[in-house]
Amino acid sequence: MARRVVITGLGIISPVGKNPDEFFSNLMAGNSGICRLQSDFVDKLAIRIGAPVQEYNPADFFSKIKLAGIERFAQFALIAAAQAVKDAQLELAEHERPRAGVYLGTSMGGAGTMEEGYVEIFQRENPRVKPLSVLLAMNNAAASHLSLAYQLQGPNVTYSTACSSSAIAIGEAYRQIKGGYADVMLAGGSEAMLTHGVMKAWEALRTLALEDRQDASASCKPFAQDRSGLVLGEGAALLVLEDAERATQRGAHIYAEIVGYDCSSDACHITKPDFAGQTRAMLNALRDANLSPQDIHYINAHGTATLAGDIEETRAIKQAFGEHAYHVPISSTKSMHGHLMGATGAVEFMAAVLALKHNAVPPTINLHQPDPECDLDYVPNKGRQLPLRAVMSNSFAFGGSNAVLIARRFDT
Amino acid sequence: MSTLKRIQRMMVEQFELKAEDLAPDAQLEALGLDSLSVIEFMFKIEDEFHVKLPDERVEIKTIQDITRIVERLVAEQQAAS
Repeated sequence: MARRVVITGLGIISPVGKNPDEFFSNLMAGNSGICRLQSDFVDKLAIRIGAPVQEYNPADFFSKIKLAGIERFAQFALIAAAQAVKDAQLELAEHERPRAGVYLGTSMGGAGTMEEGYVEIFQRENPRVKPLSVLLAMNNAAASHLSLAYQLQGPNVTYSTACSSSAIAIGEAYRQIKGGYADVMLAGGSEAMLTHGVMKAWEALRTLALEDRQDASASCKPFAQDRSGLVLGEGAALLVLEDAERATQRGAHIYAEIVGYDCSSDACHITKPDFAGQTRAMLNALRDANLSPQDIHYINAHGTATLAGDIEETRAIKQAFGEHAYHVPISSTKSMHGHLMGATGAVEFMAAVLALKHNAVPPTINLHQPDPECDLDYVPNKGRQLPLRAVMSNSFAFGGSNAVLIARRFDT
Repeated sequence: MSTLKRIQRMMVEQFELKAEDLAPDAQLEALGLDSLSVIEFMFKIEDEFHVKLPDERVEIKTIQDITRIVERLVAEQQAAS
């Protein structure tokens, strides 16, 4: 019989909370983490909103010696992982370490370090950059710090597939355990790209939401008629995944079982989302889970609030779910935490897992006038209590890489 | 202020080390500085003393090692200018 994979620990640092409880209660309350950025370069931006991690002081978590070698995106990963490992009460014996690994998603890794280096070289004409620039900026820095911190000697891989990076990291970690290649995996994503250059690049792509005139925190409006795009966010979410037998034997608290995953590609266009590819991903994940659409009680949508994205995802859900599409509650929590790019899949999957735990569905906020082409139940503005047994989380990326994860309440 | 004192002060500021632990013969590794931290520190040393470290690799194990290198470079580069 195939091995089963369960979630035994959660950790998060996000624009709407610095631990899973705070994160989920803010989502349920409809509290947005989106705001006017306070960065010193904000005057040079046309679009000045983002979803930063608020009141973050690295010195609260790391000594100065450590900080010199740990980039912001790796700091976030370490902070989230520490919570998850503690939550799981995870202890690895020496002989278990080679079968414990880390899979992490990030889109732009140490973007801040790269940018600082460019400023030194090209703007200040300084012949030197920080000596640890390579080690700070490399995309696999965060995963490697996790491997070091917890002595994980199994696979250590970083996925970079834009918006689906961390959903794929979690899904591939699930497959590692399911396939018998590992017993414990730390999986999730981290991103810290609210930098001058990255913000400018996104601005140029014309996919960022315009600032809401009345209320900056209400600028991201998935599925609404007046939506204008996504809001960039930062943070990290990490989960401890474990072979179900190992977890039950040690009496671990089990949040949920991961039962379905698919990773596939639109092979259609570099940015334009494609409902056929998205449908395929959802159906494949359902097949992997051995579940039918009716079994899914909540979908955490990709829901970026771009004009094309929300319509395409709505079409795909209808195609995959048939008549049940109209009965399953769907929400885009991006309306509150923004789009965390490489970390967003993990953040949203965690929202779905916490929804299972609390039998509560977080809302899509800022949804007052739905787009007529978005006619499903997006749980507008107010969360709901309702019994849940299985949940789905969608991640559809620039580049066409789609990932769908399904978690179910764990029954022995 | 002597070169040694300046280096000790920098170490206190940058790494939050205790001044009393920073004897000239203190091993950097024992203070918690691995090879990468030392590279990072030497980068700051270049700024502080307006010197440029030579390209050849020099062994740096103690605070005294850093002091010697800095004093040598300052003397050499003053003589050259």
